[in-house]
Amino acid sequence: MKILEANAGLLSNFEVLDLLRSRGADKGFLGAVGAVTPSECKVYDYLVQSPAGTQTREKVQDFLKEAEQYSLTKAERLQASNIRPISAVEVHLIVEDCDERLSSAMVDRFVGSVEEKLPPPPEQSDETAEQGETEMETE
Amino acid sequence: MFMLSLLRDTLRIPPHNLSIPLLDAIRVQIQNIYLDKVIKELGLCVTLYDIRSIEGGFVFPGDGAPTFTVDFGLVMFRPFVGEVLVGKLKKCDKTGLHISLGFFDDIHVPEHLLQQPSTFDEEEKLWVWKYQGNDMFMDLDEDVRFRVLQVKYPPIPVEQDKDAKPFAPMEIIGDTNADGLGLVSWWS
Repeated sequence: MKILEANAGLLSNFEVLDLLRSRGADKGFLGAVGAVTPSECKVYDYLVQSPAGTQTREKVQDFLKEAEQYSLTKAERLQASNIRPISAVEVHLIVEDCDERLSSAMVDRFVGSVEEKLPPPPEQSDETAEQGETEMETE
Repeated sequence: MFMLSLLRDTLRIPPHNLSIPLLDAIRVQIQNIYLDKVIKELGLCVTLYDIRSIEGGFVFPGDGAPTFTVDFGLVMFRPFVGEVLVGKLKKCDKTGLHISLGFFDDIHVPEHLLQQPSTFDEEEKLWVWKYQGNDMFMDLDEDVRFRVLQVKYPPIPVEQDKDAKPFAPMEIIGDTNADGLGLVSWWS
């Protein structure tokens, strides 16, 4: 084995999810030769309940374009699309030296564009579904 | 974060896979060798991204199988220092937190990197953050946000004690001592 290039590019969570979906990870492990493996299914399960679960290619591209104006690094923009920060404290986590680089008004505007461009994470629908189930059970 | 790594390897295609198309046979071989494995300094291999070139097909004397030189790209899970990740809290003990991402379990947050001041509740076996007089329990199976402080690739042990914990080829040391880190529910 020879490593030709250790870092040939960053992949956003959405891209990995899309790749795994095209491999058939959303249908679960079937055990066929060359088909999706259990470890791939686990990664898929993790990503599908993250904010990447509801994203589409157009929305992510749209967001990354929008985020260019905040002079963030590429890794910071990708992390923003992975985490979908919807509060100022989350933006401060992702952006290094946030106090010096972004004014609080810019942070607020950034949060606004995150909320506008990226769809809400799938968790909420899961929770309501679970609540629905427990209600069914109590009935 | 996930990254793309390019590798070159010489692969022996076993005879029983020669009846399927070559590309599929090579794909199966790469999956068997690399998937769900840690490569030192590259991280955990998640999936095959693409196959870029296939060369050779040489049959070595005395061997009943062709050997190909293949260039391919792998999707690696390799978090960088400073990256913020969300995982599920699997275990609390005196040494700190053990967090799982579902596909990757060897994440440890040592006690000195928890939110300050935190104490270990002996009865509940949970860590508690004493925040302005409130007891904030870190319940199991809750989502925890942490920052990657260090990624370690420990050497494979030559000899291991019987009751030693299973060997982990890649370990992440996490940090939850900052605003916004810790349980996700604390900050929403």
